[in-house]
Amino acid sequence: MPAIKERSHKAQKVLERFEKKLNRQIVGSLVACVHCGMCTQSCHYVLANPGDPTYAPAYKGDQIRKIFKRHFDWTGRVLPFWVKAKSVYTDEQLEELKDVVFGKCTNCRRCTINCPMGVDLATFNRMARGLLVSVGVMPEGVAVVSKDQWELGNQMGVLKEDYIDTLEWMEEEMQMELDDPQAKIPIDKKDCDVYYSINPREVKYDPRTIADAAKIFYAAKENWTMASEGWDMTNFGLFSGDDDLGGSVAVRLYEKVEELNARKLVISECGHGYRSTRCEGQNWGKKDVNFTMESSVITMLDYVKSGRIQIDAGKNDKIYTYHDSCNFARSCGMYEEPRELLKLVVNDFREMYPNRSENYCCTGGGGAMSMSEYSQRRLKSAKVKADQLKATGANVVVTSCHNCVDGLNDLIKHYKLGMEVTQLVNLVAEALVLEPRVAPEEIPAAPEAVPGADGLKGKKILVTDDEPDFLTFISTVLEDNEAEVIKASSGDEALKLAESEQPDLITLDLSMPGRSGIEVFETLRKNSKTQNIPVCIITGRPEMRKLIYDRPVPPPEGYVDKPADEDDIVLNIRKVLKAGHEKS
Amino acid sequence: MSEFLHFVEHPLQEIALLIMAVVYITRLRWLMKFPAGKERQAATGAIDTTPRRGIIYSWMNIANPMGMESTRTKIFFYAQFVVFHLGVTSAIALSFIIPYWPHVLEIPGVQPLLQFIIGAAFIVGLFRMIRRYGDKYIRAISTPDDHFSLLLLTVWFLFAFLSVPNDTSGGEWHLVTYFILTAFFLIYVPFSKISHYLYYPFTRYYLGKTMGHRGVYPIEHNPRT
Ligand code: SF4
Ligand code: SF4
Repeated sequence: MPAIKERSHKAQKVLERFEKKLNRQIVGSLVACVHCGMCTQSCHYVLANPGDPTYAPAYKGDQIRKIFKRHFDWTGRVLPFWVKAKSVYTDEQLEELKDVVFGKCTNCRRCTINCPMGVDLATFNRMARGLLVSVGVMPEGVAVVSKDQWELGNQMGVLKEDYIDTLEWMEEEMQMELDDPQAKIPIDKKDCDVYYSINPREVKYDPRTIADAAKIFYAAKENWTMASEGWDMTNFGLFSGDDDLGGSVAVRLYEKVEELNARKLVISECGHGYRSTRCEGQNWGKKDVNFTMESSVITMLDYVKSGRIQIDAGKNDKIYTYHDSCNFARSCGMYEEPRELLKLVVNDFREMYPNRSENYCCTGGGGAMSMSEYSQRRLKSAKVKADQLKATGANVVVTSCHNCVDGLNDLIKHYKLGMEVTQLVNLVAEALVLEPRVAPEEIPAAPEAVPGADGLKGKKILVTDDEPDFLTFISTVLEDNEAEVIKASSGDEALKLAESEQPDLITLDLSMPGRSGIEVFETLRKNSKTQNIPVCIITGRPEMRKLIYDRPVPPPEGYVDKPADEDDIVLNIRKVLKAGHEKS
Repeated sequence: MSEFLHFVEHPLQEIALLIMAVVYITRLRWLMKFPAGKERQAATGAIDTTPRRGIIYSWMNIANPMGMESTRTKIFFYAQFVVFHLGVTSAIALSFIIPYWPHVLEIPGVQPLLQFIIGAAFIVGLFRMIRRYGDKYIRAISTPDDHFSLLLLTVWFLFAFLSVPNDTSGGEWHLVTYFILTAFFLIYVPFSKISHYLYYPFTRYYLGKTMGHRGVYPIEHNPRT
């Protein structure tokens, strides 16, 4: 009798849970593959790694399929060698599977729509992720982000105070810009027509998108609100394959909408957030809802088309192209609306090919941006997207997804494309034509003073970056805003100057030769003379988000992605200084 | 006709068909025991993309080479697919024509037509064998079942081609081999990748339903590649 192989505890659990995850669609996809190879060239990983068959969708699918066949399929159970069926026994084998399902596939579904048999690899790849997550086998970033979403209700660990603080700060910015103290970002207002939900990335790294959306609602005279809790429409359950997390996050949001009795849940521009909230959340959470849900793209499009807001497309005077997010387009059919809106708010639009349901992934999808161990592989596969972007001749790429913003920024920097990435909300806000306001007499003329709102006068800022061009750029921006700038082009220099100059704030690049920004940051935090100086990270490596969550020291006070524009830098630095001012 | 040829043409085929039917029904029941995933949410995407239209579009995918980049950019490969599957259909039809309606083969043009299709399918089978062994990507995903199924079909095409005239004047060996291969094929199919035609309506139904509900199918705007 052949020796019975020992199975590790985790492998045993994976097998026990496998059957519970199977539904008819998944089983169909697992049995129907005929190994025709038609899907091979549809995957960006294959195109960027010619000659390596381990990236082929069917090959990757087979790493899951072989377990299914060994345990559930008759031929595989009786004659395993005949159909290459194989069970899983060890933790090492689970690690190998992790490398495939997390590190070699972004669940973009491009192979699905190119498979003649209708095999939906992305769906069962997600199932396999869920199985591995259930036994704790997952990339570190996935564990960290999932934990934040379970415990703090949002996937970036944003605390309630920081969130509310950011909304108030954006409200003040908006009031100043519009010169109207009545311009508000309402919180927890009941019976509204629109409940606006956002991605925590907007709070953390891109608050300008919140201000831009608020400006659009203001211009449209919308009866809207944001929520103090249940505001995160992103859902890491989609990436981790954890349906329980997915359901719990979605239901948290739906219940808050119901509590506030809002008529419509508007989801800000985020591909996976839209798919999770609008298309999957009700299924994961087994919940029906009595309100409607729509993407902010549709909301904005309606405003423009119905004349509720006036637009001057001439204000957006660059050359624009549009990147379809996989989740938004290929999984939710949202490709005409964003194009229609884009063409209304810019004058020069260039299509990208292939596009719509056939577009290539930004390569940061499926949670890839949180898995820093696969960054090199991801960036290599991004060559396909880089070539696509370059061929458009555009200088700005527009996308309706925050994840794609990060993924695209990363590859643009890596392949030195010199393009900007923006979202429709920014372009619509930029193109807004606002009616001149007639101030009622009883309204006080000046808003409450905001510390630092009058520029950065008197603030001493230490700027650290090894790229001379960026150092000059950021110094000029800060000096134009009346700050006193001290420059450091290496980590060692920054540490010395921080101690001797005691600046009000330090901006820090993470990727520097020699002593890395991470090391510099920790040293600053551990030194009693510098530990209280606020730090704003300015980096072109979004995957370094991990630093913020996994630190042994308090997190940085601010964070800006490169390429950063003047507004982003000044807004974020003012926010950090303002928070510091309030603390003191 | 010898007794043996009669046996392989009639009782053997009938037994094989019966076994295949039983195994298929068992297989379908097995597939149906898994719960079907449901969509609670309201539809997304364009208003004219419905689950029903999505399902029809998805089923028709087989006849819509322009619908997918993978077939649109490999028209020669798609043509091979068409020829191969027409060959399978013709060779199966032949296994009913010879025992039950041999007079059909007397109709002018029928024999050359069947021989042309089955012969072309045999050549495609040879091409496919070369591809399965020679292409690095295909070799990596191929199982012994994939290789054997292809070999089985290609050899079956050869004997079907030789059997089309239904002529025993030079001996019965080609007809006997063809019918034995057909019986083996019928019994082996449910256990092999050849049973994919049983799954095609299922996978395509559910994918079409989902993609239709989500506004992706039918893909109206064929993107330029
Ligand atoms: S195209 Fe579909 S059937 Fe063919 S190898 Fe890929 S997944 Fe399998
Ligand atoms: S889902 Fe996307 S990344 Fe994954 S194998 Fe298919 S094409 Fe490649």
